[in-house]
Amino acid sequence: MEPWHGHLLKERVDQSSLLIQGNRACVLGALDAGVRFYAGYPITPSSEIMEAMAFELPRAGGVFVQMEDEIASICACIGAALTGEVAMTATSGPGFSLMQEAIGYAIMVEAPLVIVNVMRAGPSTGRPTAPSQGDVMQARWGTHGDHPAIVLAASNVADMYRLTMAAVRFALRFRTPVTLLADQVVGQMRESFSEELIGRYRLTSGDFDFTPGYLHPDVAREVRRPHILGSGEHPHVTGLFHDETGFPTNDPEKTDKFLRDLYNKVAHHRDELCLYDVKNEGNGRVCIVAYGSCARSARAAWRLADQEGLSVEILHLYTLFPLPVEIIQKVARRVEFMIIPELNLGQYAHEVRKMAEQWTTVIGMNKTDGTLITPREILDRIAELVGKYESV
Amino acid sequence: MTLEIEQLLHRERLPHIWCAGCGVGIVAGAFLRAVLDLGLKRENTVVVSGIGCSSRAAGYIDLNTVHAIHGRALPVATGIKMARPEFTVIVLTGDGDGAAIGGNHLIHSCRRNIDLTCILFNNQIYGMTGGQFSPTTEPGDIATTAPYGQFEPPFDLCRLAEAAGATFVARGTAANIRQTEKLIKQGIQHCGFSFIEAVVPCPTEYGRRNKPAKAVDMLEAERARSISKTKAARLSPEELRDKIVTGVLYEDTQKPEFQRTYAEVSAGVRAQVGRRFAEEDEK
Repeated sequence: MEPWHGHLLKERVDQSSLLIQGNRACVLGALDAGVRFYAGYPITPSSEIMEAMAFELPRAGGVFVQMEDEIASICACIGAALTGEVAMTATSGPGFSLMQEAIGYAIMVEAPLVIVNVMRAGPSTGRPTAPSQGDVMQARWGTHGDHPAIVLAASNVADMYRLTMAAVRFALRFRTPVTLLADQVVGQMRESFSEELIGRYRLTSGDFDFTPGYLHPDVAREVRRPHILGSGEHPHVTGLFHDETGFPTNDPEKTDKFLRDLYNKVAHHRDELCLYDVKNEGNGRVCIVAYGSCARSARAAWRLADQEGLSVEILHLYTLFPLPVEIIQKVARRVEFMIIPELNLGQYAHEVRKMAEQWTTVIGMNKTDGTLITPREILDRIAELVGKYESV
Repeated sequence: MTLEIEQLLHRERLPHIWCAGCGVGIVAGAFLRAVLDLGLKRENTVVVSGIGCSSRAAGYIDLNTVHAIHGRALPVATGIKMARPEFTVIVLTGDGDGAAIGGNHLIHSCRRNIDLTCILFNNQIYGMTGGQFSPTTEPGDIATTAPYGQFEPPFDLCRLAEAAGATFVARGTAANIRQTEKLIKQGIQHCGFSFIEAVVPCPTEYGRRNKPAKAVDMLEAERARSISKTKAARLSPEELRDKIVTGVLYEDTQKPEFQRTYAEVSAGVRAQVGRRFAEEDEK
């Protein structure tokens, strides 16, 4: 096993900068944010998260359990969450599919947990060692029924650290599972990592603070008081429609209110939940809207374009759901084209198109061959679009 | 504070959903008496159930209760026990919930020997969904999805639990409810994974398509078929064919319990790391 500069503080203080893998940065972020319970099942390309947790959690006084499958893993996390712990699990596509029913249960019983999905290519077994962004819509609508979803997307190692922290914060604040999407490249590559790097990429959202242990000041606002097992209230917890007492109800008015409240506690807080970064704001006729590893290529394309005298705008999304409607529409009003590079067949472009097509032309750039979209490919597409426009 | 049985019930949730003649309530009552007799504290006792007729018991019991998703009561209970080792965690499940959809979790919970008590209400049928056959339906019997008679062989759940590593395995019936109550008490007191199969009649969905049909006849047949482990030892497999072997079938107090072992390993690692840091400080 390679030396692991773990949470245990002394080892970390000696290192001002680490060369660290994305999956391990995720563990560091989780531990810094207070995660002390992990249950999981091994799956490529997420297994390093589980291995690091197996090493760190006993040392941090937490609990690590390797379960018999992904269903058991998320259910164990839900059990821990019901006692007041922040629990986490990590997986990849096939395991994420298995977890879907229990994710719905966690939403229904308002259990705070973090699910990291390090995406691999393709449906079914697909290509376990190739990156993809094919689970974007599954992360939004994977479990049955109308439900809220908070979905974040990491584009580099620093993101794996800070967005894991953000995921923990959001899970606790909104008492709901939060999905952090990474992909094989972001999860398994190594990058240098320091406090400075974490702060380098600006996130735009209200008053988000990445200090370890930081809690949002109005953590209980509009979110129902949690029922914690063993808290003296001896609550009843059920996945059936229930009222504020926790007990099942078939009353149409109460069930309708329950579902709408559940949905709106996320939908009404887009201002707080939507993390993004705009580069070269208001300059250029084209905006690249990107997330995950494609955002890396987008940023590189922007620098290349600059050298070649072409001005493009970048909208880097860290929160995919709830949909960052306001910023997308704001940008859509001022650009002629929105290019959306994705390692899928246009899942998120479809969402953006619905919001933006009355103001701009939304163009998807899609790759599903297990390789990344290169900066040059993005730039060529932009040149083509702008050229086409100029020739008209 | 000493609790009365009424205090362990959410009386405002009654009447319950179980049919007349159902055996689930009989065993649920035995479970509540066991909780009272053992003097378990309400704040430290957690009941986790899955989905099905027996799992609905969680909704009437005034302890910390979790009505989980179908088949997954055991992993949810595992998370609770690992996060809060001081809790007494009891799982209420059925033959469909615990042995079909949740079968994998059952064998792995047995293997880990985690300190949970699993009471599996075996009515040999899917009652809530309308009488489909379960993994314990008897061969030849009629179910809505076995209209020509069940031809799949059933599980012997106690042998399954023992082979998978459970350290307390017992079987009781609704007919001999005092014995079942005693077995539940022993199971809760046992440190390790306790598996208690409670054979219960379902006159509505099982009885009416098979024989005996009526609730009382079903209970009487259960009693007549019951035989103790010692008596069973003297019978041939042929003679045992229709018998329900009851009592404590297996007990092992030596096998390490999962949560305690984890805690020991974890404390050992922390002590080791602490010593190393102290040494470095001295340098």
